[in-house]
Amino acid sequence: MIGVLKSELFKLRTTRATKIVVICSVALPAIIFGLTSAFAFTNGEVGDSLVSMVGNFAPLTGLLLGVVGVLCSTQEYSQGTIRITLVATPNRLKVFVAKLLTTLVVSVASALLMLLLCLLLSQVVLSTRNVTFELIGSDIRVLFSAVILSAFLSILGLSLGLIFKSSPGAISALLLWPTILEGMVFGLLSVAFDNNMMKFAPVQGNGFRLIATYVGTDENTWLVSLTYFSAFVAVFAVLGAVLFARRDA
Amino acid sequence: MIVVENLTKSYGSKKAVDNLSFSVTSGRVTGFLGPNGSGKSTTMRCMLGLDKPDAGIATFDGRKYTDIESPLTHVGSLLDAGDAHKGRTARNHLRWIAMTNGISASRVDAVLQMVGMQDAARTKVGKFSLGMRQRLGLAVALLGDPKVVILDEPANGLDPEGIRWTREVMRHLANEGRSVLVSSHQLVELSLVADDLIVIGQGKLISSGPIGNFMTQHAKTWVRVVSPQFDALAALVTAQGGTVERTPDGGDFHAISAITVGNIAAANNIVLHELSPQTGSLEEAFLDATDASVEYRGQSTTTNVWDAPQP
Repeated sequence: MIGVLKSELFKLRTTRATKIVVICSVALPAIIFGLTSAFAFTNGEVGDSLVSMVGNFAPLTGLLLGVVGVLCSTQEYSQGTIRITLVATPNRLKVFVAKLLTTLVVSVASALLMLLLCLLLSQVVLSTRNVTFELIGSDIRVLFSAVILSAFLSILGLSLGLIFKSSPGAISALLLWPTILEGMVFGLLSVAFDNNMMKFAPVQGNGFRLIATYVGTDENTWLVSLTYFSAFVAVFAVLGAVLFARRDA
Repeated sequence: MIVVENLTKSYGSKKAVDNLSFSVTSGRVTGFLGPNGSGKSTTMRCMLGLDKPDAGIATFDGRKYTDIESPLTHVGSLLDAGDAHKGRTARNHLRWIAMTNGISASRVDAVLQMVGMQDAARTKVGKFSLGMRQRLGLAVALLGDPKVVILDEPANGLDPEGIRWTREVMRHLANEGRSVLVSSHQLVELSLVADDLIVIGQGKLISSGPIGNFMTQHAKTWVRVVSPQFDALAALVTAQGGTVERTPDGGDFHAISAITVGNIAAANNIVLHELSPQTGSLEEAFLDATDASVEYRGQSTTTNVWDAPQP
């Protein structure tokens, strides 16, 4: 199993597309955050808006790491290496678990790095203006949620990749569903039922809500959101694993 | 040793492999032949666990491929030379494969040298010619120093030197006691290296056994004769049930053995300048054996299809 894991990590490390996406998922938020820090907080107070801003980058990083998950599986099909992978390791469950763990390791490490970079950069920028901030309990929860969100979105990406077997299909599903389609569907349902149906939206209403600093009365609590979102991702992960195990390569 | 028993695989209503059974012996090169779409690649994929057969089993020294721990050290395979990430270097391509089966990095360098690609080790696969990719594919097959080697069209895209090298590699592997199963459309090449043949058509076994048996069964044989008294000899041979085909410098006798022709000539004091038994090529034998099972057939150029009116 260790050999398969090392191999999967090596595969990710030696493909340009995944490297670029990982770098973007870390660097883009850090750059934007650095620039924002340079021009914001001019009154000398940070409050909880800084951590809230960091949290707001989590969906972007998460979705980009979801793309890494997609590439982890679909590149094997597009380049034909899936046949060699399965000839080298005929136990498909082992391959799936190795891909899952690899994606998780990369996404958690990238999300942590992104948070660290954002906070460090803002600390450096703000210290030049003698503005300081400290992380408090709720901030830690937001930062922790950002890591969880990235991990789950990367698993979702990997699963969609195994289901679709093609990058365009899987990436379209990964990006369009949470950003456009889910809002439309659950927005219309909210109008139809005259109720806040967005709390049933798995990604926008629960996944992205994990990083919210405030929870409204008609919204799910953090724990409910986490359970709901993880169940949603788990369904796709199981479907991806089953299809991967059963399909001809 | 490879044993395939009653292997059956369908895609929808089409049976790609139909109750196929054969065995591949150690220390011999076994050619795997069949027309396009006859099920060769599907059989190989089923043997390696890539496709799940509807029925039947393939075993390597008594074990299913999927049950073998570190399978690359037992069975090496080349299914498609294009199965490599174009952005990875040759060495990195071999390294990730080696890692899965606990094969050392030094073995990676050794196989690269073995296939003559040590200078291209750090070149990206996307820059390789088809021939280079075939060599890399062979390196993958040899990576685990396996006892069984399965190669699907290994000489495809190689230059004459590469083809000869591939032939020598296969011969060398068999001489070391390994089982080598190779599918190829280059029948001349295969006839030079194969000890045994497995011929399939429309997923079914047509022939299996030593190449000599296959040739005896399916290749045409005739007797070539050059003689100043050819017409007299032809008349005598025809009387004995043979048929005659004239050539510019003599003729070919069919349906009669060289010994009989020689005896007839001797008994009648006919001078012979040449008397040689002739055998058709493996290609002709293959075409004869698979004629009934060819699925996709081009129109003969003698009907001048190129001059046909365009729609």
